[in-house]
Amino acid sequence: MLIEVVNVVILALLAVTALAAVRLNDLFAVTMMFGIYSLLATIMFVVLDAIDVAFTEAAVGVGISTVLMLGTIGLVGRRARKASHRPILPLIVVIITGAALVYGTLDMPRFTDPAAPVHQHLGPYFLNESPDQIGIPNVVTSILASYRGYDTLGELAVIFTAGIGVLGLLGLRRRKRPGHEGGAR
Amino acid sequence: MILTIVLATLLVGMTAALIRAIKGPTVYDRILASNALGTKTILVIVVLGFLMGDPSLYIDIALMYVLIGFIGTVAVLKVSEFGDLGQSRSRTEEDHS
Amino acid sequence: MSTAIEILGGALLITGAFFVLIGATGLLRLPDILTRIHGASITDTLGAGAILLGLAMTAGWSLLTGKLLALLILMALLNPSASHALARAAVHGIRKPWLEKEDS
Repeated sequence: MLIEVVNVVILALLAVTALAAVRLNDLFAVTMMFGIYSLLATIMFVVLDAIDVAFTEAAVGVGISTVLMLGTIGLVGRRARKASHRPILPLIVVIITGAALVYGTLDMPRFTDPAAPVHQHLGPYFLNESPDQIGIPNVVTSILASYRGYDTLGELAVIFTAGIGVLGLLGLRRRKRPGHEGGAR
Repeated sequence: MILTIVLATLLVGMTAALIRAIKGPTVYDRILASNALGTKTILVIVVLGFLMGDPSLYIDIALMYVLIGFIGTVAVLKVSEFGDLGQSRSRTEEDHS
Repeated sequence: MSTAIEILGGALLITGAFFVLIGATGLLRLPDILTRIHGASITDTLGAGAILLGLAMTAGWSLLTGKLLALLILMALLNPSASHALARAAVHGIRKPWLEKEDS
């Protein structure tokens, strides 16, 4: 009961924050809204018992992405330009896609349903077999690092490439000036 | 029971901070609201951990949150005062006035 | 003995919740940014401190207590620093405290 109330409140705050981030014109304020959004999303993940995702959201959403967006603001300025066209066609496409996705979720088993297929075959298999096959006590680690090892390697490559790209974009205009230590005081 | 009251209070406080973040006339109001929301988020995570029975993991998240949130706040303030993260120009007296 | 500590912890929790409410009210109702910083930092220090201390008292003595105290010390160090930096940036950026505005 309590968890449901927290869910409803946090989801309502998330929706309000997202709408505000869309409506605001000042990019700095939008960045603050994104920070608030990921704070709320972290609470959401904690409520859903997904501690590792909450860790990631806390580190990436609040720390890294805020700093990156602020660096971008430093390059491009703070005002959002007025849109030059009315986005009717993209809106229709987005609405149709969203409706199709929502329609697709109707066939999914209920959240935390013990009779769901994923809990019938895969879960027990990994829980029973991974100590013998892999030998790591932590099941999540053995799945991530061994069963899905190539997948994780690919993810690391993608993240590394993205990091290099972001650094290239943000560090492009960096100019060294004598007697200036980055404005830090 | 007491924990539930504390959680409800924190949620009310988060709502108030969000209202301030949306209304806030200046940028600093929004930064302040985001900061206050961060504090309340940490408290909500810890209280939720105690409510759901296994607090130690949740407290680890909260600890990390404090540290990273501070970095984020300092970066935000730097941009709000100097215009960027110190990439391209130095602070001069004209910026200041 | 343990009951007394638990009662004290509960009282601290209620106190913390009260201060969180005061901070939220200040954040909403006070007239300008500097006064709002003053109001909101009540939550950061007194509210968070009382709640974390109360949780540590109700939880009993374990590793958890150490983590809660570390969290408490970190928040007591970092949040006032952030508030101070924010107030400094706001004074530089706005330069019109509320008292001056009342004259005009």
